[in-house]
Amino acid sequence: MAARMLWASRAAGYLRISVPHRGFATVLKDLKYCDSHEWAKVEGSSATVGITDHAQDHLGDVVYVELPEVGASVTQGEGFGAVESVKATSDINSPVSGKVVEVNEELSNSPGLINSSPYEQGWIIKVDISDAGQLNNLMDADKYSKFCEEEDAKH
Amino acid sequence: MKSARIIEVCRMGVVNYMDALKLQERLIAARKSSKIPDTLLSLQHPPTYTLGKRRTDHNLLVPESDLGKMGAELYYTQRGGDITFHGPHQAILYPIISLRDIGLGARKYVEKLELTMIELASLYGVRACPGKSGETGVWVGDRKIGAIGVRISNGITSHGLAFNLNPDLNYFKHIVPCGIEDKEVTSLKREADMELPTEEVIEDQLISCFVTQFGYSSITWKDKKSLLCGDDGDTR
Repeated sequence: MAARMLWASRAAGYLRISVPHRGFATVLKDLKYCDSHEWAKVEGSSATVGITDHAQDHLGDVVYVELPEVGASVTQGEGFGAVESVKATSDINSPVSGKVVEVNEELSNSPGLINSSPYEQGWIIKVDISDAGQLNNLMDADKYSKFCEEEDAKH
Repeated sequence: MKSARIIEVCRMGVVNYMDALKLQERLIAARKSSKIPDTLLSLQHPPTYTLGKRRTDHNLLVPESDLGKMGAELYYTQRGGDITFHGPHQAILYPIISLRDIGLGARKYVEKLELTMIELASLYGVRACPGKSGETGVWVGDRKIGAIGVRISNGITSHGLAFNLNPDLNYFKHIVPCGIEDKEVTSLKREADMELPTEEVIEDQLISCFVTQFGYSSITWKDKKSLLCGDDGDTR
């Protein structure tokens, strides 16, 4: 219940991008994004990472998540894990470089959290960032929304 | 206005599973660095069982040691999906394409692979349809005629689809195909009421259905030798 009230109170922080069959996909204003559709929530020298609403919508129902080990290194733009949906495994790339300090074990039992709550309960890893300068390579919410619309217009 | 999209297609005949995997790895790297355009492999495998990333080997119903006696191999792969069988007289397509270039996600890509097989089946009067939710693949009633298992890495696809022309369906008895119990496997030979042309003809039709479904405007035919000899832009 508390999570839902938190969700509602953040309503003003959302952008909506049009997705033909659904109407919209949510983009949160205070996150950073990369072009492979992952998000990073940066807090000090740490970041929480997941995949976006646009990404989960395009994947279909997630049935399996391959998580990295705590302590593993991640590199911006490179794969650190994978999700499976509709008989397709898709790599997940890290938007930041650093060391994994926590993984969302819940996803092993409930991989569908990625679909139902991509920005909240569906978070995937937490990283101690090694290179804050790289954050400049990421997109803000407006740029990411435009990027998604351009990508969807391709077909 | 959409620009012209090319696909390079290679008819490979029967290829050992490991050889095909290694070739795909090279093609993925070349496609990722744009050294080659979208590429499609059309082939068959010798008797081979494969598992996906989730390694669901509880769906193999015989000891692994028995497989050699049947003349079959077993591979663990990084593709999505459960356990399946590949063998002679089963048409396989492995598209190595950039989904980002065409703005497709996994779900839409897999739907188009399903439609490719559904269209091919319809050429022979067979009414096939996609699986119900969670059962990706192509079905004729309750019988599975086509399977899908895909890997997407940096937006580039590998593995793909397998469509049963007339494989020895007994091989499927040693597994719970795709992890779905109590459902049969079938083939175009079983379902079609008409006489079928040669497999080469049907495989070319499958390629054609794929090309149409994915909106390519031109095909370049590549021969097996030029693919296997490193003529894919790969510098050694």
